[in-house]
Amino acid sequence: MAKIVLEGVTKRFKGTTAVDDLDLEVEDGEFLVIVGPSGCGKTTTLRMLAGFDTPTSGSVMIGGKRVNAMPPKDRNLAMVFQNYALFPHMTVAKNLSFGMKIRHEPRATIESEIARIADMLGIEPLLGRKPSQLSGGERQRVALGRALLRKPQAFLLDEPLSNLDAALRTQMRTELQRIHRQFPVTTIYVTHDQVEAMTMADRVALMDKGRLQQIAAPQAMYEEPASAFVAGFIGSPKINLIPGRLRKTGSSVAVSCLSCDIPVNGSAGEVLRNGSADELLVGFRPEEIRPTVVDAADLPVVTGTVEVIEPLGPETHVVVRVGEETLTCKFPARAGLSVGGSIRLELDVAQMKLFDARTGDRIR
Amino acid sequence: MSVLTGVRRRESAENAATRGEAPPGQSRRSRWVINLIMGLIGIWFLLPLAWLLDAAFNPNAGPGLASPQLSVTNFIGAFHTGAGRDIANSLYLAIVSTLVTTAVSLLAGYSLSRRHVPFKGAVLVAVLFLTGLPVTMLLVPIYEMYVAFNWLNSPFWTSLVLASTSVPFAIWLLKNFIDQVPREFEEAAAIEGSGELRTLWRVVIPLALPGVLVSAILTFINAWGAFLIPLVLDSNPGQTPAAVGIYQFLDANAQVQYGPLAAYSILFSIPVLVLYLISSRWLQGGFAFAGGIKG
Repeated sequence: MAKIVLEGVTKRFKGTTAVDDLDLEVEDGEFLVIVGPSGCGKTTTLRMLAGFDTPTSGSVMIGGKRVNAMPPKDRNLAMVFQNYALFPHMTVAKNLSFGMKIRHEPRATIESEIARIADMLGIEPLLGRKPSQLSGGERQRVALGRALLRKPQAFLLDEPLSNLDAALRTQMRTELQRIHRQFPVTTIYVTHDQVEAMTMADRVALMDKGRLQQIAAPQAMYEEPASAFVAGFIGSPKINLIPGRLRKTGSSVAVSCLSCDIPVNGSAGEVLRNGSADELLVGFRPEEIRPTVVDAADLPVVTGTVEVIEPLGPETHVVVRVGEETLTCKFPARAGLSVGGSIRLELDVAQMKLFDARTGDRIR
Repeated sequence: MSVLTGVRRRESAENAATRGEAPPGQSRRSRWVINLIMGLIGIWFLLPLAWLLDAAFNPNAGPGLASPQLSVTNFIGAFHTGAGRDIANSLYLAIVSTLVTTAVSLLAGYSLSRRHVPFKGAVLVAVLFLTGLPVTMLLVPIYEMYVAFNWLNSPFWTSLVLASTSVPFAIWLLKNFIDQVPREFEEAAAIEGSGELRTLWRVVIPLALPGVLVSAILTFINAWGAFLIPLVLDSNPGQTPAAVGIYQFLDANAQVQYGPLAAYSILFSIPVLVLYLISSRWLQGGFAFAGGIKG
């Protein structure tokens, strides 16, 4: 168990900067998910923690010790690889006991520990098999078992669920959370899947182009994204980002988009009145746009044409064209819509998020 | 590696054959003509082998084919002139040089595959160049050196020269085989606390085992058939390897003893034949990373 700290970590490979001045603190026992599009530097970050890559500058600290130059074998970490990396020439039991034998643990301990972990993960019937005789989910469990037997300072997981089918992925997600409750060891989990990030993390670190964009609890990141990129990455279906123009009339500020003027109050209005940004991105999450029949008291209402209807059972995703823009909305199951039909939508202005269109920064 | 693509290509050819299809652009008749020509060439090359078998079992063998007989006199004769001892000498030279070559080339090939080596490209080209270097070029300086160090007439030191002639090719072969082993396995071992040598021994070598065996077998066969180096470096009659010993039948009393020569040749070729069979099996087996890494 250990706290993990990255201080100003930069990693450059022949001309490209994979990770750029990254500061990150992971508390002891925390489940941190690093998420981001491919090439954002998340795997490089994990590999620097594991010791496979050495930072170009900055320091990596595990348990209060600077480990930049420490070889992987001495870091006492466990890692689950994206493609599992089970030793193909060894049986499952040998794969599991590999590390314990290196650490010279007594044979009786090895056997009882393997039995315990195998029982917990439901892999006892597989102990005598070779990895090639296992299904993807079984390999995943064995890889997890190998990591658990390490009794590490921290777990590093590199997209461990990406090779599984959808049903198994959901199941393993739950299982990983259960395991983390059972062994509350510092865990750093890398994924490109925002659903995994949202469902599993204590905190989510979102990276893009080698830089940390935001680090926050999942719900906080969803509700208060720091930038248009974060807002667009977290949440499914994606947030609607509509171009808007700033309108200053006297002391009041409004943003004009989708053929209506939406007044901006509070601190965001203050910032806009004094700032230079006038090209904006107006963000509404799909659930913040609702169908309406009557004009609500003070909510702006827009009219559009239904383009696509995706019924999902409990809810329906609807793509509506409003002028030049398309809005993705999340409606209750039977919204009684037809493609091509006209629809009136009200925008939940209280939830509106404004971003500077040029920098992508949140205005609040 | 080419070995793997070769196997795959053969499989697809076999599939075509089992479907009874002629390869594109070939009619049935032209295939027949081609088969006939290939058959004739095959017979031409099989004739000496047929003679070898015939002569080995014929107590009065001459340079021509005779009616087949089944006598082991020639084999007994071959053993009386020291075939057993010669083969034991050959085994010693081949085994020692195989062990030395494999150990050295594995470490070198692994380093060249995985570690940062300054001027790696140049080093690899140099190694490749060395594989083409004729032994005769080296023999005079080596002889001088062995005289100076008093290493002549020693099977051990002779086998080291044999090993050194195999090392460059073995390094190339093993580097390429180790390149095929995904690094994740080594990283997984490292995370589990395994040091580099243990990882090499427990993970890399088992996964590159087909390559290691192929390299070892080729080294063995090279040392087994070596003639010039043992002839020059070891003139002790009791230490003659079989490849040198076989010449006693050619120049003894200026008369060729065909029968014992043929029997000796068969004895001499058995280990190599066995190794070729084993190696062809391994080459067909290819790699077995399946299951460890999802690709």
